[in-house]
Amino acid sequence: MTTFPVTFHVPAKSAEPANASSSMEGFDFIIRGMTVRQFSPGKYVAVAKSGDWELLSGETLNLLADSTITLPTELSARLISKFLITSPFEGNGTALLRKARSTAKHATVRLGPSLHIIVPTLQCAHSCQYCQVSRALGSEGHTMNIDDLDAACDQVFESSAQTLTVEFQGGDPLLRFDLVKRAVLRIVNRNQRERRTLRFVIASTLHQLTLEICEFCREHGIYLSTSIDGPPWLHNRNRPTKERDAYERTLDGIRMAREVMGPDSVSALMTTTRLSLAHPHEIVDEYVQLGFHEIFVRPLSSYGFAKRNQARLGYSVGEFQSFYEAALDRVLWWNARGVPIREVYASIICNKILSTFDAGYVDLQSPTGAGSSVIVYNYDGYVYPSDEARMLAETGDDSLRMRAIRENERESFPKVVESLRQASEPDTAEGCRTCAYHAYCGPNPVDAQAQHGSMNVHAHDTEHCARHLSMFDNMFKRLANAPEYLLDVYCAWGKPVGTGTAL
Amino acid sequence: MRQSPGNFRPETSRKAFRAVPLAELPSLWEPELNYIIPVKDNSDIARVEALIEKGLTNLSWITGSDIEQGDVIFPRPDRNVVDISYRESDLHHTLFLTNRCNSNCLMCSQPPTKHDDGWLVDEALDIVRHIGRSPSSIGITGGEPLLLGSRLRQVLDHIEEVHPTTRIDLLTNGRLLSDATVASTVLDGLSAQVAWLIPLYGHAHMLHDFVVQAPGAYEQTLEGILRLQDRGFPIQLRIVLIEPVLEWLEDLCDFVGKNLPFVREVALMACEPVGFALANNDICRLDLNDWQVQLSRASRKLARYGVRHLFMNTPLCALPPELRPLAQRSISDWKQVYSDECTGCAFRESCSGLFAWHARAWAPTKITRIEELA
Repeated sequence: MTTFPVTFHVPAKSAEPANASSSMEGFDFIIRGMTVRQFSPGKYVAVAKSGDWELLSGETLNLLADSTITLPTELSARLISKFLITSPFEGNGTALLRKARSTAKHATVRLGPSLHIIVPTLQCAHSCQYCQVSRALGSEGHTMNIDDLDAACDQVFESSAQTLTVEFQGGDPLLRFDLVKRAVLRIVNRNQRERRTLRFVIASTLHQLTLEICEFCREHGIYLSTSIDGPPWLHNRNRPTKERDAYERTLDGIRMAREVMGPDSVSALMTTTRLSLAHPHEIVDEYVQLGFHEIFVRPLSSYGFAKRNQARLGYSVGEFQSFYEAALDRVLWWNARGVPIREVYASIICNKILSTFDAGYVDLQSPTGAGSSVIVYNYDGYVYPSDEARMLAETGDDSLRMRAIRENERESFPKVVESLRQASEPDTAEGCRTCAYHAYCGPNPVDAQAQHGSMNVHAHDTEHCARHLSMFDNMFKRLANAPEYLLDVYCAWGKPVGTGTAL
Repeated sequence: MRQSPGNFRPETSRKAFRAVPLAELPSLWEPELNYIIPVKDNSDIARVEALIEKGLTNLSWITGSDIEQGDVIFPRPDRNVVDISYRESDLHHTLFLTNRCNSNCLMCSQPPTKHDDGWLVDEALDIVRHIGRSPSSIGITGGEPLLLGSRLRQVLDHIEEVHPTTRIDLLTNGRLLSDATVASTVLDGLSAQVAWLIPLYGHAHMLHDFVVQAPGAYEQTLEGILRLQDRGFPIQLRIVLIEPVLEWLEDLCDFVGKNLPFVREVALMACEPVGFALANNDICRLDLNDWQVQLSRASRKLARYGVRHLFMNTPLCALPPELRPLAQRSISDWKQVYSDECTGCAFRESCSGLFAWHARAWAPTKITRIEELA
């Protein structure tokens, strides 16, 4: 195979710092106005601002590099149709189309917060080593007061979004089901005149689930979201309880919920710990065995838990990637055998690459969705722009606090949200401006704050950037080699349905 | 257009008549419509003449024709022939509004002419009010109907007024909707149920403009499609399967799926072997079975984007088995035939068959009887 000549490995106009993270492979460069990335040795992808993309071989790049050559019709038509090169005959139709595409893409963000997270309590029966926030049962002062709760429920309706998702997070919200119930009833009641489409989710270990709670959930169409980290031994080591039966009790909860509320009433998330890294297949198989249609293979940030535990629990971006790819392969293996299970992280990446409509995944919105499409009402009486931001506050950095829930004089657009927005503007953010994946990704200022104590750091210095560069590279590697049936799977995963859940 | 021989009442001028049997005339008669009574013998004629004598001047009679009850016909005074413009029992109804066009498509089945043919609109309006039972849908075609501007709007409004339940399928290249004046004239306040049937032959200007033989057409059509989408009209994209389209069909479908996923459906259509298609037979005459891979891949692309699509004018034997469920019986009744080979085919009843004129030109594939699956 011809490799693209080294002389054309020109960096994009504004020179990147030479130390731009060694974990990144490939280069981004500009040719005939297209931003091109080498996502794998000798393999290139050009990505347009619209998100359309085209795989380019070394030969094609050589052709493109010679500006005296008239491109063959097939190639130029394809590049024009993907907004990669501009035709001199471009008129109003194409201009309108660009606008329509951009509108379609940003439709999710424009409507105001659609995901409202309420944290009624931090109490939890688990004492997970990587968890930054939860507090033991019976601990004082970690539960929301009633006036804050009521105010939060009312403020949900200040968003102009037609579909509102209200998610109860913790701690374990079911430890204070009385508060959850009060909130749901208040919101449902108010909605009789608001007429929004409501979606409720309770994120819980399900250890405290009772028939009565299930009946209530069924009555109000509430979904349950729980955690399964893998087979029993792994789950129980990740999520210690006094009785060492976290897995069994969560499973009892899943069974009860499915029986009363229906087979699709519970979804599960997994958290990857150092212990998980060697067991990608067993973890995926566990999800298949439990009859889940989705698995979300989620990384922990290396800075996302108590510092004292980092050496024992942490892992590098590279370590996560090898684990993740193996897990994803296993998910696809099951799909090829007729078991339709979807991996959510890959679905988010596929959505970015393959779909016209953005699924609105908060961490990859640019500017960030934190504070604008998601909002958190915390037990402490304050409003935060994202789940990570309130966790950050728990570890001592409350700089991302937006306001008190019951603030007397409220700004319509809090300063914190404006700072987050500015720090995540991909057209100006250092390291993002010239990135080939610009259309798919964006800085995560909450993450940057957590990792570096500042929102305004060079993207290449963040784990967020390193992880997503390889996520996108790896997906392009897959797309470049995928047989037709797998392309069908990736496209189906990329459709923006069901990905609006809180993460 | 369908015609019938027939001897009609002398001095019958060219205007629309609704065909009704004499027995039903009393219950149907309205002063502002014209009725023609198919009659068998002189005593029938005498009875109609008696009515005319009494002052029912909006009557005429015809003998020796094969017109049916409910037909809307135009007598040709110079000859013993009537044009059957509308037939109630047909699956497809069409109003032909103009022969003029601003494009010049390589495979045009109705090559455009330049002269003023405004009388076609007058006749169309006349047909509309003579239709007795409102059809579920009616097609409007040309030429390019948007060239008519306010007169097109008049037809749309008239259909809505007389047949409020009828859906209208308007076949247009959409180019003139890029003209704000035309768009406003035709679309502002339009309440008729119009679906827009718009051909798209390429995913970049040079491909589309070549097929329609009109520079700038791609950008205008694209603008038209987006303006219609903005106003919430349903759109069917039409792709005629000639060689320069088939060659890049997968890319075109990728473009449609990614950029125009809101369209109601995409119709993939075999070329009608008449008109310019005959002159350009080097790129229009082909066997769809030689393009099975492209068709399947195109269909798969559209399916991935969730875009509904169907095949039109394609006999089932021209498609690979997995695409056959997408084929429609689309050829207008009066144009449609089967070939000898179709006799005994297990799928004949659900098959579009062939254009009547295939015998003088070509069929979209070598017609082959499909045996019942075991």
